[in-house]
Amino acid sequence: MWTVLLIVHGLLAVALLGAVTHQALSVWVPARRPAGSFVARFRSVPGASYANAMVVLYLLTFALGGIIYTEYRIAVRTVVEQLELWSQSGAFELKEHFAAVGLAILPAYWHYWRAPAGDHARTRDVLTLLLAFIVWWNFLVGHILNNIRGFGT
Amino acid sequence: MTPRSFEVFAIVFAVVYALAYVVAVEANYALFTYHPALKEWGAGVQKARDGPAMYWFGWLVTSGFVATAAGFAATALPESVTRRLWPGWTWVVAIGVMIAFCYLLRNLFLR
Repeated sequence: MWTVLLIVHGLLAVALLGAVTHQALSVWVPARRPAGSFVARFRSVPGASYANAMVVLYLLTFALGGIIYTEYRIAVRTVVEQLELWSQSGAFELKEHFAAVGLAILPAYWHYWRAPAGDHARTRDVLTLLLAFIVWWNFLVGHILNNIRGFGT
Repeated sequence: MTPRSFEVFAIVFAVVYALAYVVAVEANYALFTYHPALKEWGAGVQKARDGPAMYWFGWLVTSGFVATAAGFAATALPESVTRRLWPGWTWVVAIGVMIAFCYLLRNLFLR
């Protein structure tokens, strides 16, 4: 069961990562002319259309991560500490705290994406960048910790 | 809730949640404890029993209650007061809290 939950959590995280990266690039380095290349098309998405999906994906990924965390605490963290991998352990501690911070800013993020463009656009852009950082950090750290423990061991 | 009330709620929620979460972690104000080895929940902060004790869920809920209460209380304030709320506090406090956690956990990275 844990493997299934972990895979679903990972898939949701991939979707979240894609959505938030699209959105962050669309506001921080928007495409100025008709998109021709893959990168330009990646940057030229209408960011507002991602906001609802982002909130739902974040909450689902967070909830599933919380469930898996109970198994991680016994099956993974114990091993990580026995191996004295303190940096990796610390990175995961940051992951849990950053995820909580992401939860805190989620209502504001949602509100400023629904507000008319121009009203507090800078706040909206910074919150999006912050969420992108949190999602990337949590994705990479989760992936690394999962690799340390190994699949099915 | 009007869009303006929701904005006030969201700003206050973001700021108070982030700050309350740091306090909850540092002072261990967890509303409940989870014992993963036993698959048991317990009210408040409990010591580890037959395995580790998890407080993270408790910290999240503690902060959630405090932030939700503060957010709703803020929506009841007069507009002359809430108009002064700078939306930028949402990300300034969030980044500050993230840096604070990096500092608090520095020993794990400097061993």
